[in-house]
Amino acid sequence: MHITPDSLIIFQWGNVSLNATIFFTWCVMVLMVVGSWLITRKLSTETHLSRWQNLIEVLVTGMRDEIRDISGQDPGRYLSFVGTLFLFIAVSNLLGIIPGYVPPTGSFSTTAALALCVFVAIPIYGVSQKGLSYFKQYIEPSMFMLPFNIIGEISRTFAMAVRLFGNIMSGTIIAAILLSIAPLIFPVLMQVLGLLIGLIQAYIFAILAMVYIAAATRVQRPKEKAERQSEKGDLLNG
Amino acid sequence: MLIDWFTVIAQIINFLVLVYLLKRFLYGPIIMAMDERAKKIALSLEGARKKKDEANLEAKDYRRKNREIDEHREEMFSQIKEEADVRRKNLINEARNQVDAGRTKWYEAIRKEKESFLQDLRRRAGKHTCAISRRVLKDMANVDLEDHIIHIFIERLLSLNKDEIEALKKSIHQLPQKIRVRSAFEIPKKMAGKVIEVLRNQANGHVDVQFEVSPDIICGIELKFPGSKISWNMDDYLKTLEESFLAALENKAEKS
Repeated sequence: MHITPDSLIIFQWGNVSLNATIFFTWCVMVLMVVGSWLITRKLSTETHLSRWQNLIEVLVTGMRDEIRDISGQDPGRYLSFVGTLFLFIAVSNLLGIIPGYVPPTGSFSTTAALALCVFVAIPIYGVSQKGLSYFKQYIEPSMFMLPFNIIGEISRTFAMAVRLFGNIMSGTIIAAILLSIAPLIFPVLMQVLGLLIGLIQAYIFAILAMVYIAAATRVQRPKEKAERQSEKGDLLNG
Repeated sequence: MLIDWFTVIAQIINFLVLVYLLKRFLYGPIIMAMDERAKKIALSLEGARKKKDEANLEAKDYRRKNREIDEHREEMFSQIKEEADVRRKNLINEARNQVDAGRTKWYEAIRKEKESFLQDLRRRAGKHTCAISRRVLKDMANVDLEDHIIHIFIERLLSLNKDEIEALKKSIHQLPQKIRVRSAFEIPKKMAGKVIEVLRNQANGHVDVQFEVSPDIICGIELKFPGSKISWNMDDYLKTLEESFLAALENKAEKS
């Protein structure tokens, strides 16, 4: 049993090896991109829609609404990043129901990569929104808080990566252990639970990323909206 | 070691590529389609709103018109009734005039027919009376009717009063043409000579007489000159017959 799919080698060409994390990531990417292309090549602008277009529109509209609610801004510039985070993690986790598939999100390398992307995206969005004054928040309320703020940034990024990895990896490990102990019925229930957890974790990861980005790009918001978002962030951070 | 930095970098690149691809193949087209649909729906809603506004305006207009019609109904009814009465009266008058004209025409036709009938009757009656008288006189007294008529005419000429004789003389001398004696029959020369002789005696001078046969005169003879007329014919008797016949005819018509 492998704790992480990084150690599971799928192909080996001399010194170059392809581990399961990258391989299944590519599989997920191909599935998502081809699926998107198939659905969006015949889009209808009338009121009559195909089922797949309807599904995709519901997803995209839901994500846009969620981003708008959290950021209080136009969701257009955040949708690609946050939406892809959610869809990638969700699809990666949901495909876990296929036998032989190993979710790439069960690899700490993947979750760390995603968390690093969020870590980098936050200052990029912040600077693009507020300019260099974005960095002032690190020395607020005083200069002495700079190390703590930086530590806070790093720790929350680390927490995101570990949370996702821990949840998915544990689900996979538990399913494997249960298969060896009680091979009938019970693993099925655990798989169903795993699907639910996978979806919830995708939501949590994307929402946290959006909350961090929104906090970085926040200029002046109504008091109640800010309070509501910090409450939401606290709740998700647990 | 749980973390493989090569995998981390590869996953970062994979994720960034996925972000780009999904933006290119998913978010872009879907959002564009949704925006396009929203625009179309907004347009159709706008169209519907305009139509609704138009419909509201029209409904308002119709309601106003209905109200006006309700308000003016009595007035319109009375006006229509008045117009209908006038029209009816006109039509009745027109019909009445037509009937009157027809009746007048009919009366005129009847009158003409009656006149024609009576004239024919008088002529026929005269002819027959003349024929009967001729035969009766011939059978009973062996006298010719025409001769007898001429005798009566001569007697009348002889019995002219003074004024009549003066008038006769005056007309004989003043008129450029001859004196005309008109009769229903051809006067024999002998009798004509007698008439001329009597006229010369009465006028004391030369008299040119012209004898004419006129079918207008029924069984008789006449001499006309300005201011007087000397004649004998059956016209007077026939007039009495005609009046009696007419009275009988009208009496019969009234009874029927």
